[in-house]
Amino acid sequence: MNAPAAALDLASIPERIQSEVQRAIQRSIKGVEYISSSGPALGSTPKDVLLSRGTLNLYHYRPIADEIYRVPILIVMATTNRGYILDMVPGQSFIEFLLKRGYDVYMMDWTAPKPEEKSLRMEDYVLDFIPDCVRRVQQDSGETDVTVIGYCFGGVLSLLYGSIFNDGPMKNLICFTTPIDFREMKLFSNFSDRRYFDVDRLVDSIGNVPPEMILSSFEMLRPASRAVSQVNLWENIWNDEYVKAYRMMDRWGTDTLPLAGEYFRAITKDLMWDNKLYNDTMTVGGRAANIADIKVPILHAVAEHDHIVPYDAAKHLIAKVGSSDKEEVVLKGGHVSVVAGANAIKRLWPKLDNWLGKRST
Amino acid sequence: MADKGNDPAVIWQTMIGEMEKGFNSFANQAMASPEFSKVMNQVGGVSAGAQKQLGELMEKYLVSMNLPSRAQMVGMAERIQGIEGQLNEIKAMLHQIHHNSLAPEGGYGAARPPRTKRPPSEGEQK
Repeated sequence: MNAPAAALDLASIPERIQSEVQRAIQRSIKGVEYISSSGPALGSTPKDVLLSRGTLNLYHYRPIADEIYRVPILIVMATTNRGYILDMVPGQSFIEFLLKRGYDVYMMDWTAPKPEEKSLRMEDYVLDFIPDCVRRVQQDSGETDVTVIGYCFGGVLSLLYGSIFNDGPMKNLICFTTPIDFREMKLFSNFSDRRYFDVDRLVDSIGNVPPEMILSSFEMLRPASRAVSQVNLWENIWNDEYVKAYRMMDRWGTDTLPLAGEYFRAITKDLMWDNKLYNDTMTVGGRAANIADIKVPILHAVAEHDHIVPYDAAKHLIAKVGSSDKEEVVLKGGHVSVVAGANAIKRLWPKLDNWLGKRST
Repeated sequence: MADKGNDPAVIWQTMIGEMEKGFNSFANQAMASPEFSKVMNQVGGVSAGAQKQLGELMEKYLVSMNLPSRAQMVGMAERIQGIEGQLNEIKAMLHQIHHNSLAPEGGYGAARPPRTKRPPSEGEQK
């Protein structure tokens, strides 16, 4: 072991104490500011609502480039979370990045399903919502082809859509951290063990699955992390940039949506219990959804340290799709930081632009 | 400057980080057992049932107090959302009509940028 006192630079101690005292004072001041102020405005890139159908909103972001690619993009957001993770603040917005690079961007975003929407089924999402939005994008843009980007479970919905509507109009498919082998989501799999988890009783008794339940199941994957993040916030509360980033991520992370009851029942039975997507036995509304039927160019971005969708749950996607033009990119980062953090700005976004630009003409 | 290895702030951060990893890892191992699933779902089932019964009880209580229930407030919120949704649709239609009126022959996106962008060639600055 080292002898700390021997190696300690005694001359630096007064400077260090002064710095810590200043930070302590800053913490008190900024702590009061933190409590009394709201966080940064999120999701503020100018957009128009093209469609609003209960839980579904379809946005069109106003182009900002002088010239745009021919093929528009439709982003399918995960049904558990809000779409502003992809449009945080200027300079840290995936949407803004795409607009600046000359893409025409639409997004399917979700609001909390209302009590009467508890009967929404998987087929409502895959056979109705997505095709309806694709039609609206076609009408609005005047183009037949559409690139689809799905994030997390939005990726699963996009895969199901692409499997069933495999003769078009989807021209390219990009999936972010999309699971297909649900056995490998080990903790979720254990939480929903069919021997103990009575999904029918749950859905029949409460209807939509409450957001608290969704959030706590996410937080249980890393039970110490929330408390540690609070400690780290206090440590860094003097640092405005840290606090801004914390507030953005914390607000989004806790802004979880309820899930429509029947839809949750289908996810549990078909995907968590029977792993039908991986086993090529998935059907939606009686129509086979085999991802081998997807033939369009596909890019799958996965995160090396994803604790929500571990790599083992996502890695078979590229092998199983029928496309000849396909690529998987494994990036440093976690489930969220891979698409919305500093890593995303440096790694994923430029990679995606490079891949998609040449396929968007 | 002090050596980073001796910096109390760095030592503290490292310790917190290691504790987080250790606790998460330990908890994940414990939560991976079938016993955990059984207990969690038993507790969750009881809690969901209790929540439902409490909700029904509260509903009766609020009716007796002549106060709006949560369901009624949600109903009102839905109506407002419905109106907002219709306003948004009207706004989008007006937007579309405005665009079309600017088009020489009523084509799409006359006020929008042309869809002629090409990807930059290899090595070209974007």
